[in-house]
Amino acid sequence: MRETLILLRREVVKWVNRRPVLLISIITPLFWILLFGKSFNLLRLLSSEDLPLPASIAEALRGYLSAYIASLFGTLDYFTYITSGILVVFSLFQSMFSGVSVVFDKRLGYLTRLLVAPIPRTSIFLAKVGGTLFRVTLLSLILLMIADVAGFEFKEGITVLDLAGAWLVVALVATGFTSVFASIAFHVDNQEVIFALANLVNLPLMFTSSAIFPVEQMPEWLQSVAVFNPLTYAADLVRYFLVGKEVASLAGSLAALVVFASAALAIGAYASVRGMERD
Amino acid sequence: MGGYAIEARGLVKAYKSLVAVRGVSFSVRGGETFALLGPNGAGKTTTIKMLSTLTRPTSGDAIVGGYSVVREPLRVRRLIGLVPQELTADDEMTGWDNVIISARLYGLKGRKALEEARRVLEFMGLWEHRGRKVATYSGGMRRKLEIAMSLVHSPEILFLDEPTLGLDVQSRRHLWDHVRMLKREGVTIVLTTHYMEEAEQLSDRVAIIDHGRIVAEGSPGDLKSRVKGDKIYVELKDPTEAGRVLEALENVLGSDGVELGTVGQAIVVRVPDAGSVVPKIIRVISDYSVKSVNVVKPNLEEVFLELTGRSLREEPLDAPRFRMHMRRARWGH
Repeated sequence: MRETLILLRREVVKWVNRRPVLLISIITPLFWILLFGKSFNLLRLLSSEDLPLPASIAEALRGYLSAYIASLFGTLDYFTYITSGILVVFSLFQSMFSGVSVVFDKRLGYLTRLLVAPIPRTSIFLAKVGGTLFRVTLLSLILLMIADVAGFEFKEGITVLDLAGAWLVVALVATGFTSVFASIAFHVDNQEVIFALANLVNLPLMFTSSAIFPVEQMPEWLQSVAVFNPLTYAADLVRYFLVGKEVASLAGSLAALVVFASAALAIGAYASVRGMERD
Repeated sequence: MGGYAIEARGLVKAYKSLVAVRGVSFSVRGGETFALLGPNGAGKTTTIKMLSTLTRPTSGDAIVGGYSVVREPLRVRRLIGLVPQELTADDEMTGWDNVIISARLYGLKGRKALEEARRVLEFMGLWEHRGRKVATYSGGMRRKLEIAMSLVHSPEILFLDEPTLGLDVQSRRHLWDHVRMLKREGVTIVLTTHYMEEAEQLSDRVAIIDHGRIVAEGSPGDLKSRVKGDKIYVELKDPTEAGRVLEALENVLGSDGVELGTVGQAIVVRVPDAGSVVPKIIRVISDYSVKSVNVVKPNLEEVFLELTGRSLREEPLDAPRFRMHMRRARWGH
């Protein structure tokens, strides 16, 4: 534990020192929520004035449609919808960066220094997980503060517990996916592998989850994929805590995510140590 | 710990496509400086990696500081310091940060960690530069930082893998001084090098390693005495005359217990003592057009050549090698 904290401190110091990277890490999700989120205006879609229908029927139709959209998205504001999803997606992206940093520690020789030190090898892995946790915590906080200014519709009567719940979800995603990327990184010598892998899985993971669009409106085959995607549970839960969108089973979704994160953590720790001892 | 700080017993390391170390055994006494001398690819680094627990031997074992590298690697790690061939400092951080992280990883806490970090940075002459990012350090400074990081926990045994590789002459000599200081403090040092001068200068004992095996072991003096006598290299301006010169030399020197031969384009005369023979040789070759005459006293380079038939630099025995000899040759009296 002590060793993990020593190494975690290094991760944090390095990250904080890289100001441009820090800035980009904040700007990229902002693009998503501000440009993509704001440009897709659900309310405007409903506000068409010239429906060729009697006024009362048009009114009823609009009422029905907005209720339907609200039940699908949990909000009539797509910006609010996607922002809660992006918190989860960027947790995934930050996890990938930890994988890349593992490869660099190897290539730049730093890992050799750690491997010859009298420390448990799992601490090297855990420090990478901790590094992602630190980053996503800070970035999520900043992102939410900016989103608040830009009109994020928090649920009524939101409490600190809700925020803690959302943080827990983001942290579980970071833990799970950092475990995956880091443990693979301990087995490869080239950071391109991690980038290629991330390119391969990040988009599908993002679009087969409820992070960007609701699962309910997906074709059935896509829905059946989404059920196995941790990001679906994560995005639903963040939305539950921050926006107040109902989830089918709070305990079930949380359990699914906890199982994913802890399994990934355990397997990741084992696989990482194996990777470190590889010739 | 008894008399030995390190006892390597039949170390073997086989990778998928090659066997890097084929049964290496040696012992290093506490406080001794021991050099593994050999060309690139001889198995020096792999041996160091096994001794420092970075890689597990395929077979064999080594007792380092009283513990088995195979069964008790964590205990071994507490006692040793390793300066690997590659640079390992994080160049995005300052020298100070790098050393302090090392100190803490070795269990030094609070004030003690700060004191030890300061001690090693001062020892290596980096104290004034501690606040600079490592990326701004020169090659020599980076090497020194590597050593500082490896010394912060006061290891009993220090492994130096090619410590002066790529350094200029001045930095190299400077680093040697540091190694000698550590030796005086009683640190057991194992270093690898393919510079014979480095092995001669620093070590009490040398093991010459080639193709994953130790081919000779002893003090630099012992090893040099295995090369019988001096060598005189004669390079002619016109190499085609070599045959005739050899014949002439044979007539004059035949009874002096000399061996004659050629190495690449040069004629080589091996004699017990060059001093008395050189005048005779000069007389013979004065009839020909001579580019150079070199007398080479026994050195580890020659020992290696003798034992393996190859030079330490793995260059074919031709002009480049000959030039190297010219640089290294010590003239007879």
